[in-house]
Amino acid sequence: MDKIQKHPASFKDPSGFVFLYEGKYYRQVNQSFKHNYIFLKESGLYNQMVKEKKLIPHIELDENFSNSADWYCTLLPEQITFLSWPYEWCFSQLKDAALLTLSILKEAIQYGMILKDATPFNIQFKNGRPVFIDTLSFEKYDVTQPWVAYRQFTESFIVPLLLSVYQSPEMLKLLQIYPDGIPLSLASKWLPFRSRFNFNVALHIYLQNRVSQKSNRTSAEKPAFSRSKLLNIASNLTSFVSGLKLKKVKTTWNRYYDETVLNQKYVTDKRSIVTGWLKEIPVKTLLDAGTNTGLFAEVAAPYAESVIAIDSDADCIDRLYNHCKQTGNTNILPLMVDICQPTPSTGWRNEERSSFINRCRVDMVFALAIIHHLVIGKNVPLQRVAETLSTLTQYLVIEFVPREDEKVKQMLLARIDIFEGYTESAFESIFSDTFEIVKKEKIALTKRILYLMKHK
Amino acid sequence: MNITAYIDPGSGSYLVQMIIAGILAIAFYFKTIWATVKSFFGGKKETPSKDEEKNG
Repeated sequence: MDKIQKHPASFKDPSGFVFLYEGKYYRQVNQSFKHNYIFLKESGLYNQMVKEKKLIPHIELDENFSNSADWYCTLLPEQITFLSWPYEWCFSQLKDAALLTLSILKEAIQYGMILKDATPFNIQFKNGRPVFIDTLSFEKYDVTQPWVAYRQFTESFIVPLLLSVYQSPEMLKLLQIYPDGIPLSLASKWLPFRSRFNFNVALHIYLQNRVSQKSNRTSAEKPAFSRSKLLNIASNLTSFVSGLKLKKVKTTWNRYYDETVLNQKYVTDKRSIVTGWLKEIPVKTLLDAGTNTGLFAEVAAPYAESVIAIDSDADCIDRLYNHCKQTGNTNILPLMVDICQPTPSTGWRNEERSSFINRCRVDMVFALAIIHHLVIGKNVPLQRVAETLSTLTQYLVIEFVPREDEKVKQMLLARIDIFEGYTESAFESIFSDTFEIVKKEKIALTKRILYLMKHK
Repeated sequence: MNITAYIDPGSGSYLVQMIIAGILAIAFYFKTIWATVKSFFGGKKETPSKDEEKNG
């Protein structure tokens, strides 16, 4: 039993750690956390939160995989299909994660416990909704103390949400640079002047920043805090976060299928070809690269166990996430990831949170109407596109958009055409190095071609 | 501050929570008075949200 692999990000909290063993993630509970863990179960908080699907359920194992003297017990939590990081989430995903954290905090207080940390990394998305995964974040609540994670919550949830509202949702990506939270000192510089007139922003950002800069850490005697004060703050934070809404914007991409592209017949025909192929090939996991507002991720959803839908456009991903919530589509995970600049590995030794490419292994990739954006828009050679896609998947559904296409013509209007090699035959021959072309169909009323390919 | 914390609570975090709790209590007090005045003059009845009532 010595082949456990400690998760490279699981070293901050001495209460236990996560490890990988025979392809599954486990969590060790250390002796130092024993009393809190027993209280979590015996108080009924664990059962209640699992019942409400707020906390990930686990099975308790009496096996010391790590052989450490610290060991108290081992948990085998329900596994997450695809791990995503907060800097890949859209505004509404981070907002829902914040509201989940606050609702767990309030519930924990009712049961005599409190959250000892409040980072979005404690949350993952499962079946279309956020779920709290860090079972060791709960500790007994001392009513005389305020919330130890208040600053962390503000910096890692409230600040990125506010920057999205007041500036632009692309600013959510800042969590990649500041995974422990965007410092209040920076937030108060980056937020516009008018934000000071918002009561809650003034309270939680500007006031907190001012107090923290002037405060002396060594100041001794302090009056006791109380449960009702803490619950008041938690309720205020909840109504503050609930009220945050993005401004309606029109981006280059969020009306793509409504306005820019061709006509309805094109979409219907493309949909029926893709659906036909999905019916023939059983897939568990599927990646829709450049999903836009998720039209084809939704086409694929009934035929796959889980669909990861990525796009670089923050607004598209936000629309897709909210649309999935409304329609009850639980197996699509929309993520803000740019295929040309996928999420890098980050953290200590660049090992804490792995890159998108390292995490992404799927049965099928959809690369629909993106090839011209990669080759002509971004100057990525066809060979590189084929190589990269071949590392991710076994099956590939790819749409070739030829030079004669209106879109490509538009793209070439203002620049020198250095893309002589961008032809149907070159495309087929280059992709044939790594893939076998299984099917090929023309899409109605266009010169675009859909291919079904299989990794050689 | 709670010295068993494994994360840095941040300087002034205790103090700011004391101040915010105080401000919220005052805000709640005035909100309640305003709601009473409004309902007295037959305006649209407005009561503070459930959460606030429970904890206020």
